[in-house]
Amino acid sequence: MMSVRRWLLGLCLSAVTAVAAADGALDGRLTIDTANARFNAGVVELNAQVTYPLTEQIRAALQDGITLTFELEVVISRPRRLWWNADVVILDLQRDLSYHVISERYLLRGPTGAEQESFPTLTAALESLGKIERLPVAVEAQMGGEGPWEIAMRAGVRRGHIPDALRTLLFWRDDWHRTSEWYTWTLER
Amino acid sequence: MDARALRSRVARLLPLLAAAAGIGSLVLLALSVENSAAFGRSRLWIVSGNAFAVLVLAWLLARKLWQLIRDYRNHVPGSRLTMRTVGIFGALVAAPLLVVYVFSLDFLNRGIDSWFQIEIRQGLNDALVLSRSTLDLRRREQLQRTEAAARDVASLSGTMLLSRLDQLRRTMEVSEVVVYDSTGRPLAVSSDASQPLIPAAPPRDVLLQLARGRDYMSLQPEAGGRYRIVTATTIYAAVGAPQRRYLLVNYNVPAELSRLADAVQDAYTNYGNLSELREPLIISFKLALTLVLLLTMLAAIYGAIFSAQRLVRPVQDLIAGTRAVGKGDFGTRLALPSRDEMGFLVHSFNDMTKRLRRASEEAEASKRVIDSERERLAVILSRLSSGVLVVDEHLRLLSANDAAGAILGWQPEEYRGHLLSELAGGSALLRQFLAELQERLASGRSEWREQLDLNVDGVRRVLLWACTMLPKGVDEGGVVIVFDDITNLLTAQRNAAWGEVARRLAHEIKNPLTPIQLSAERLRRKLRSGLTSENAQLLDRATHTIVQQVDAMQQMVNAFSEYARAPEMCLTTFPLNQLVVEVADLYRLQDQRAQIRLDLDPRLGTIEADRGRLRQVLANLVSNALHAISGMENGVVEISTAAMKPAAGDQPADAQLLVSDNGPGFSAEVLQHAFEPYVTSKARGTGLGLAIVKRIVEEHAGQVEAGNRPQGGAQVRVTLPLHAERRTLEARRERA
Repeated sequence: MMSVRRWLLGLCLSAVTAVAAADGALDGRLTIDTANARFNAGVVELNAQVTYPLTEQIRAALQDGITLTFELEVVISRPRRLWWNADVVILDLQRDLSYHVISERYLLRGPTGAEQESFPTLTAALESLGKIERLPVAVEAQMGGEGPWEIAMRAGVRRGHIPDALRTLLFWRDDWHRTSEWYTWTLER
Repeated sequence: MDARALRSRVARLLPLLAAAAGIGSLVLLALSVENSAAFGRSRLWIVSGNAFAVLVLAWLLARKLWQLIRDYRNHVPGSRLTMRTVGIFGALVAAPLLVVYVFSLDFLNRGIDSWFQIEIRQGLNDALVLSRSTLDLRRREQLQRTEAAARDVASLSGTMLLSRLDQLRRTMEVSEVVVYDSTGRPLAVSSDASQPLIPAAPPRDVLLQLARGRDYMSLQPEAGGRYRIVTATTIYAAVGAPQRRYLLVNYNVPAELSRLADAVQDAYTNYGNLSELREPLIISFKLALTLVLLLTMLAAIYGAIFSAQRLVRPVQDLIAGTRAVGKGDFGTRLALPSRDEMGFLVHSFNDMTKRLRRASEEAEASKRVIDSERERLAVILSRLSSGVLVVDEHLRLLSANDAAGAILGWQPEEYRGHLLSELAGGSALLRQFLAELQERLASGRSEWREQLDLNVDGVRRVLLWACTMLPKGVDEGGVVIVFDDITNLLTAQRNAAWGEVARRLAHEIKNPLTPIQLSAERLRRKLRSGLTSENAQLLDRATHTIVQQVDAMQQMVNAFSEYARAPEMCLTTFPLNQLVVEVADLYRLQDQRAQIRLDLDPRLGTIEADRGRLRQVLANLVSNALHAISGMENGVVEISTAAMKPAAGDQPADAQLLVSDNGPGFSAEVLQHAFEPYVTSKARGTGLGLAIVKRIVEEHAGQVEAGNRPQGGAQVRVTLPLHAERRTLEARRERA
């Protein structure tokens, strides 16, 4: 009876792990190389350098018309004794990368489409994406207290512009979805 | 809490947890479809929840199936019906599900393939080529215009250059005209209101291309679906100019052309996104369909088993109840499952068991009454002094009481259920009794009441027996025989009659005997003196004879008187052996030739009895024995005593006295009536000796038997209780 239970538990964990560890088209380096933040005139500004994967598969897929969404999750929390940290600010920044086939340029767009940049090469587009300078992530009023604060940052990339209903169907084998490890540091005033 | 209780609690909680996990994952799924990031965060929980729900459902189903198979193999009542019901339900559910599944897969393949037909891709590519060609032609035209403008301003600088740039911007209908130096620093600008006041540095790729000596032209999409053509060329100045300059002109693409180009771009992008999803979509849809099919089928089969077990449970209860009733448990009550037909059936079953229980209780009460009556009858029969035999119509012994065994000398309990013919191995008395019985029954007689004379080893036994038929319908019919041993009764009656005769004889004869004797004596004295010698002698002889005969008659009357006297005993305790020795010595003194041998048991102690009467018994027996051997040269009388032990116990309870001789023995006729009065083999005996012996022995609750020895000669055996208590018990038993 015990062995059957272990077998079932193992099967369950394997299935979950297999789903969670799905990889494929987004192979390559996806890391946060450096990141820091500082107060500047009452605003918390973020500076970071992120390396996104660059493969021929990505290039081909972009040129075939798909859109990739690059995400940057930033969580600022305040540590508490004998309890979990209190989230102060949670940011989810998204930018879409696509290939404009008529102009033969790579476009970077914000979620609203109002901000748009174009690049002649994919490398230039990814370098622009990965270079974050003085990005305001919070104002002093949001932070509360004197600190210190813990900041966690994670970068991700996934296939964009898929209807959510279809995304639900693809949850077990979406090769186009990958996130980096959390990069954390402490911010002091 | 023990392990079993824990397992039971977990087994009850697991389905609830699985349902909670399933519902929770569905809620997460519904929430996450609104937000891709939320979906990414909750994906693991969704998958885990669904996997947990599926596993639990599969586990529950496996348990149910295993239980069903085990019950089926063990022939548990209702398991076959459950299996059939599950099979039918499962087939009814599985068939349409499979049909829908197959058609859905086919529809998916065909439908998704139709979205990505080659014609659509080709059309998009053609539109793309056309768009590019149109815009490329326009770019080239704009570049030629830019080159012409560069030649136009080649010799200008300062305010002249600014003025010319403004003029060119208006005539060329462009949004911005900028002149940069070789480092990318703007030297002169002319722009409309849509452009920033200070132009940004040219993109690096522009400068690189211009530095290589090639013109730059680029179509750049802008926010809002607009397009801009950026062109740049080198301004070739006159020889000797201080540095190289570049002219950059931004042309706005017409709105209509931008809209069309943007539409082509959007169509291409959307199609590209969708076409990338083709394979994953097909697989995902198939997997989703398969998962839904599996979940539905598992849930349906589980539901089928659950429903079948709920349906069959009242039937199983009914079967169990029926078995319990079959085993005699009429107190079985089933819970009403519902108010439908099954409920009506269960209600009828409960009503039936209620009636059965009532009938059973009544039957039990009747049985108890019958058993009680039977026990009473058995007690009455066992207390009866009459023997009772019940025989069925096949002459099989059904019942017999203790008295029957005591009278016939056998153990009825050992032969109950046996045929009468199988009882022939018992006592001689029983054999004769059964022979008489079978003869009568064989001759067709079934009702009689008569006396039965039996003779066992010369001893006469008289039974009064009656037979009557049992009515048909009571068991198997048969006959019941009631009999009494009336031998002692007849003897007692005869003895009483003889006692009465003796008493009357003694009374009527004894009185005149004395006057007769006295008268004879008086006659002899009065008449003898006047008679002749001859007559006197005659008178003497006559009166002597009269006196002698009167003496004889006196003795006879005394004997009769003794026989008829009232049984009043004077009990004392004395050694029986000593009494025997005394009597033997007395007879040895009377007759020197008498050969009397004694064989006395030293274990025999004292006896509680009437010493005088026992002396009379011994005297009568020894006298009879000596008379029997009188005239024989080697005649011997043997007297022996023995202590008789009862079946249980060490102390002697009875004394046995055996008086035997080696004379001629009893004749058969005498032996049959040896203890009756006036039966004698002696020429001058009164015939009261053995009768008196028997009477005295019976007064002491003893037994006396007379018989012949195998080696010849007579013997009389007397058995006497040693103690008065035992004698009282024997007397009571006799009376019973």
